[in-house]
Amino acid sequence: MDLLEPTRRAFALLAAGDPRLLEAIWLSFWTSLVAIAIIAPPAVALGFLLAKRRFPGQRPLVVLVQALLSFPTVVIGLLIYLLLSRRGPLGFLELLFTPSAIVFGYVMIAFPILVVFTISAVQGADPRIYETARCLGAGRVRASATTLWEVRFGVAAAVVNGFGRVISEVGAAIMVGGNIEGLTRNIPTAIALETSKGDFAQGIALGMVLMVVALGVNIVLALLQGRLR
Amino acid sequence: MSELAVLLGVRKRFGDRLLFDIERLAIEEGRSYVLTGPNGAGKTTLLRILAGLERADAGEVRVRGAAVYVHQHPYLFHTSLRHNMEYGLRCRGVPAAERRRRAEEAIAWAGLGARRGTPPANLSGGEKQRAALARVRALRPDLMLLDEPTSNLDKEGRAQTLALLAQLRDERRTVIVACHDQEVIALSGLARLHLDEGRIQ
Repeated sequence: MDLLEPTRRAFALLAAGDPRLLEAIWLSFWTSLVAIAIIAPPAVALGFLLAKRRFPGQRPLVVLVQALLSFPTVVIGLLIYLLLSRRGPLGFLELLFTPSAIVFGYVMIAFPILVVFTISAVQGADPRIYETARCLGAGRVRASATTLWEVRFGVAAAVVNGFGRVISEVGAAIMVGGNIEGLTRNIPTAIALETSKGDFAQGIALGMVLMVVALGVNIVLALLQGRLR
Repeated sequence: MSELAVLLGVRKRFGDRLLFDIERLAIEEGRSYVLTGPNGAGKTTLLRILAGLERADAGEVRVRGAAVYVHQHPYLFHTSLRHNMEYGLRCRGVPAAERRRRAEEAIAWAGLGARRGTPPANLSGGEKQRAALARVRALRPDLMLLDEPTSNLDKEGRAQTLALLAQLRDERRTVIVACHDQEVIALSGLARLHLDEGRIQ
């Protein structure tokens, strides 16, 4: 197969700002950002609690969240589909095949990633942080916030990882979004569709956007971490 | 002089070994103490019990006011030096202007004026120790518990930390310094507590 021609056309599409491309890119970005914004605070808080506090059922909970991490996103999509479908328990919300359904799916996918990465960031925190804060008169909440602040790059890595995972995620997005052009077609679902139609230029162009996103967030993260050390 | 802290029949085990059993220990207000003893005698544990960070297995620990423990390798937050000085004041709800003034005073007291722009993580061991002492002193706690403040420091760092310890003594702060640094032990005007084989002598 000729790779050069579709690649050349992919660049042309990007350069021309093809509206179908831009729509998919815009949808991917805002749904991912909204999902991360919704789930990051509770997921980071839960990750902190699971890392710091001992309570009954804590171990099984950690194992459960870790298991969710390797849960196939198509299955998560299926579950949300059943929840949101007309006859499902949340069917009255009429969210299926809307961008909100995609956000819902992303929230579920990002949740275990953020929790697990936060746990490892907090567990890697110097135990003197919390103790020093408490010695200086901080209450539990402030001392916890201080600990999170001291491991902020680890927490940022959790958030960036969650973002990177959902923006490139195809299984749940296709199941609950429906891949409707102009409404719920985002970058990965468009790549899957265009490729199956044989329109490689669109697929390559969107693929390049995703790769630039992945590269970009990781470069930013590396720079931040480099400054901390 | 009144008693700021009293330990009565305080016992602490470490595994199945009795770490110490202190019949009575009184800390007088406005005095500096040096707590000596071999490694593993329980000096750190004793300080941590006084600070409320650990519990005794038996006995009574009475401390009037706030006791603050300073770790052997103090942790400075990855913010600015001034923010570190203000941290505890912020926790106590000290107003911003007052906080700032006391933080500046603390930086000057530690002799770190020229290092104010340096990220705390990049300070030398001695500078970190002085910053930690100043950070606690700025809170004006009733009892300062300093764990081996001169260990792991070079000659210059030790001399500077020693000078701050002498100042705390002269300011009549109540301080207990755990250490086995001969220079600290030799500081004049320090009451000596020796913890060995589970007893205070």
